[in-house]
Amino acid sequence: MKQALVDDTEDVSLDFGSEEELAFPKAKIRHPLATFFHLFFRVSATVTYVCCDWFSRSFGGCFVTVLLLLSCDFWSVKNVTGSLLVGLRWRNQIDEDGKSHWIFEARKVSPHRPTATEAEVRIFWLSLIICPVIWIVFFFGTLFSLKLKWLALVTAGISLQAANLYGYVLCKMGGERDISKVTAGFLSHTVLPTASPRDFQKPGPAGLEMHKH
Amino acid sequence: MAKAVESSGELGTTSPRPLMRDLKAVGKKFMHVLYPRKSNTLLRDWDLWGPLILCVTLALMLQRSSVDSEQDGGPQFAEVFVIIWFGAVTITVNSKLLGGNISFFQSLCVLGYCILPLTVAMLVCRLVLLAEQGPINFMVRLFVVIVMFAWSIVASTAFLADSQPPNRKALAIYPVFLFYFVISWMILTFTPQ
Repeated sequence: MKQALVDDTEDVSLDFGSEEELAFPKAKIRHPLATFFHLFFRVSATVTYVCCDWFSRSFGGCFVTVLLLLSCDFWSVKNVTGSLLVGLRWRNQIDEDGKSHWIFEARKVSPHRPTATEAEVRIFWLSLIICPVIWIVFFFGTLFSLKLKWLALVTAGISLQAANLYGYVLCKMGGERDISKVTAGFLSHTVLPTASPRDFQKPGPAGLEMHKH
Repeated sequence: MAKAVESSGELGTTSPRPLMRDLKAVGKKFMHVLYPRKSNTLLRDWDLWGPLILCVTLALMLQRSSVDSEQDGGPQFAEVFVIIWFGAVTITVNSKLLGGNISFFQSLCVLGYCILPLTVAMLVCRLVLLAEQGPINFMVRLFVVIVMFAWSIVASTAFLADSQPPNRKALAIYPVFLFYFVISWMILTFTPQ
């Protein structure tokens, strides 16, 4: 899927008419490496956890592998893909007198910097939200099937994934205190893109691909 | 405690953080644990990567090699993990309830990094266990574990003691003592089957 997106060279403006998009190369994915790694670690952690019985009988090996993948995912999403794909960053800072501050930053949209494409933003947010949900499902799965030795790993998975989700949601909210407004905005722009009249002026494979999801 | 400071748009750049900087920070903290002195490094720039690495290393080394695939080291592995993290969280909650002015993650960071001497003890014990079993073997391991246990306590109190009000220091340090004692006990009583 990703390969098709990268190879696509159609002249398509994905966010339906923003001027700044036209100023920059019209690739579907401007940061292919970052997008790839954003998805790779999360997906392979989930897949390894599910399929570990097929790979090896060693509990410790599987545990460590999944934990390693989860840690790589946490680090890369927090430090790299967040700022590259959506221009957000969150961190903790301890100042001189020992007080701890959580800092949430959002990059100002400027005409001189290429922002990420809609596809990248969508990939970022969807995978950020879906993965913790999957791990919560795993949590209940292990709890009810009484495979309690996996509980520690699943708890670690949930905490690492949910931490990033929470951090970025707080970044996105910015000064907005009302979570429902943010959710509504997110749903309308990212999950269910609404068609505008200009949409029909530029049909193309890209337009079809988006509505397929 | 912690408050969100939002600077949306003030910073024009949210550039990716380099990996080497984080690795160097972890390495620096390990050095600070090995040579504990009054310094703010562990506290100011906390991270939990070091504790994670140490915890996993310790859990891997404390695995028993077992013939039976049912007990494939599973419970022991997860046990160590849970003891370390749950123990650290409990100590942190305790110190916060006693009125300490250290943040949650800072405390976890210090407690986790100070497991380093005990991890070294585990390594040494495993090497010593390759030799012939016997009372001398046990005495050597006991000595190593006691020294490393003391090292862990000294390192963690050097960082944590200041954050407590003076009349509560003993109450705050006692759980730390217990925590490292349990880990030392697990290390000392480890025998590969």
